[in-house]
Amino acid sequence: MSVIPLPKKQAESLLRVRDLKMHFPVKEGIFMRTGKYNKAVDGVSLDIAPGETLGLVGESGCGKSTLGRCIARLYQPTAGEISFEGQDIAKLGRKPLMPFRRDIQMIFQDPMESLNSRHTVAQILEEPFQVHKIGNREFRQKRVKELLDLVGLPARSVTRYPFEFSGGQRQRIGIARSIALNPKLIICDEPVSALDVSIQSQILNLLIDLQKEFNLSYLFIAHDLAVVKHISDRIAIMYLGKIVESGVGESIYRTARHPYTQSLISAIPVPDPHHVAHRQILVGDVPSPINPPSGCNFHTRCPQAMEICSTVVPTLSDETQPVSCLLYEASKT
Amino acid sequence: MSLFKLNPQTAKKLRRFREIKRGYYSFLILAVFLLLSLTGELFINSKALVVSYEGEIFFPTYSAFHPGTDFGLDYQYETNYRQLKQHFTDTGSDNWVLMPPIPYSPFENDASTGIFRPEPPDAAKQHYLGTDTTSRDILARLFFGTRIALVFAIGFMVAVYLIGVAVGCAMGYLGGMFDIISQRLIEIWSNIPFLYMVIIVFSVIPDAFTIFSRILILLGVMVLFSWTSMTYYMRTETYKEKSRDYVAAARVLGASNTRIVFRHILPNVLSTLVTFMPFTIVAAISAITALDFLGFGLPPPTPSLGELLKQGTQTLRTAPWIVMSAFGTLVVLLTLVTFVGEAIRESFDPKKFTLYK
Ligand SMILES: Nc1ncnc2c1ncn2[C@@H]1O[C@H](COP(=O)(O)OP(=O)(O)OP(=O)(O)O)[C@@H](O)[C@H]1O
Ligand code: SF4
Ligand SMILES: [Mg+2]
Repeated sequence: MSVIPLPKKQAESLLRVRDLKMHFPVKEGIFMRTGKYNKAVDGVSLDIAPGETLGLVGESGCGKSTLGRCIARLYQPTAGEISFEGQDIAKLGRKPLMPFRRDIQMIFQDPMESLNSRHTVAQILEEPFQVHKIGNREFRQKRVKELLDLVGLPARSVTRYPFEFSGGQRQRIGIARSIALNPKLIICDEPVSALDVSIQSQILNLLIDLQKEFNLSYLFIAHDLAVVKHISDRIAIMYLGKIVESGVGESIYRTARHPYTQSLISAIPVPDPHHVAHRQILVGDVPSPINPPSGCNFHTRCPQAMEICSTVVPTLSDETQPVSCLLYEASKT
Repeated sequence: MSLFKLNPQTAKKLRRFREIKRGYYSFLILAVFLLLSLTGELFINSKALVVSYEGEIFFPTYSAFHPGTDFGLDYQYETNYRQLKQHFTDTGSDNWVLMPPIPYSPFENDASTGIFRPEPPDAAKQHYLGTDTTSRDILARLFFGTRIALVFAIGFMVAVYLIGVAVGCAMGYLGGMFDIISQRLIEIWSNIPFLYMVIIVFSVIPDAFTIFSRILILLGVMVLFSWTSMTYYMRTETYKEKSRDYVAAARVLGASNTRIVFRHILPNVLSTLVTFMPFTIVAAISAITALDFLGFGLPPPTPSLGELLKQGTQTLRTAPWIVMSAFGTLVVLLTLVTFVGEAIRESFDPKKFTLYK
């Protein structure tokens, strides 16, 4: 099976995902029978090394959040392996998962949604310690102050409620909660998409600083390449539940091979006025993951589609910059 | 604990509720009435508040039965304190009796002529609203009838909400097969005609049962056939809250289902539930009054508004004061509760409630 290889220097992976599938049953009729499945994640493999950031990019609805939520074990995946430090957690129940809950945390897109509006900042930030029965009241209160300091919020915030903060400050509270238990991996599901552009870079810098200080690994989800560019060591491109190409940070810009990646890159605005825009605009809508196209599931929109693309399923190649496209499989054989 | 902690959103709602004067004052009137009515025996009672006899002081209101012989009368049955008072005045003794402002019990037939018949309001006899067809004081019956209706309605509401919230929340939270099966069962259950059930149950309760237990059975039957409507709201709201990210965040932290339900989902769902409460009370009062009117409600001789209305409509020409006072009380009562309901709904309205300001 083909796998996104790790950069050479990092031999051992913290997270190892193999052929992960999340098929949501689609309920129909009055008896809610399950006929079809929404193949939101359909065979994803990836690795994340300690201290590394993997950027995950794709259009809306391609299954990025579902992938992240499977890894954070909000969902029980249909099939596949999720190994954290060598142990497969894909099928674990609530109790055996508890130690992993401390290691794998999540930051959500909309902080207003992900913070309980009826709880004070103190209640929100003490919850991780209460759930894991860590320390007494004093210890918790001390840790809450430390966490607020780490994310750059004043200690007097503890008695406040989420709605009393700005969007950026709220996301800082969400970040503080995610690092409370000293995790090793944080799933960042579009953590800046809901924020003002002027604040996005502040939050990104905070995430980078925290990563350096605590040697965190990130799975950083975004729907456009521009955001992940700065923060990611490696980038994976996702389309309709599958990873189509991945590569090391900047290099994927210069040497994008998959037609989908190329069209994503050409969509990034370029500030250089002499740059001749060679835009590959994607036509058509994203097909439904309930009835994905046959063969290469991108063939309905691919500008370079060939005849065999509608029948043969491409696989992710085993290279330093793996790609899943018949154009390159053909050239090899 | 966090369920009842006053957070600024709740405080804001309460402040706005106080600003809606009509609802706020209605609420105060009802609250004061309810509190006073709990000690209603002090205001409306055939038993004296205080009796001073031969230098000894008696407080018969809540104390045990005093036979007439206790106060030098020649009978063994319970003292008639109005007569006792008259007797003391007539004989010019130092003994005295202090009667409540309305010296009649709601169960007592005060037929001065010996024939049971409605008497018009008469301040001299202290029948301020007259008497009903069996010569019972209407004001006393209205007062205690209203108290029973309110307490009954509150008990009904509490029971309906407890069952409805628990079942609806479980359906929305657990989902899956449990949800589907419960939904179908509830659909079947809620199609059973409520009125027939009440009539059937009413006719099979043995007469040997005490009045109190018959009232409880009636309450039970009404609750049994009313809780289902609560589940619809609770089910969808719980389902909605459950799929929000703050619940996902709690789950990623490892929070248990109990913690998620009681610390996160319920406090968020219940705040809206408060806005339904007054309307549930209105519905309960109307239902019990209607049942009483039809003769299938509270067992006689329990004082009730519906029973007075029924008498009143039967004696519309001969004793119009019965229907007037019963109808007036019902209208005032329902109007007050509705005002409270409107004010709560307005001050809690989530659409008016902006998070960003
Ligand atoms: N809990 C769920 N139950 C059923 N289907 C779901 C569920 N979550 C997601 N899906 C479906 O899975 C597919 C992928 O959704 P997902 O949220 O993972 O996409 P995404 O890449 O995160 O998109 P976005 O950029 O909009 O966040 C969609 O078709 C969605 O409708
Ligand atoms: S396999 Fe064919 S359709 Fe798919 S991306 Fe490559 S060229 Fe396009
Ligand atoms: Mg998403």
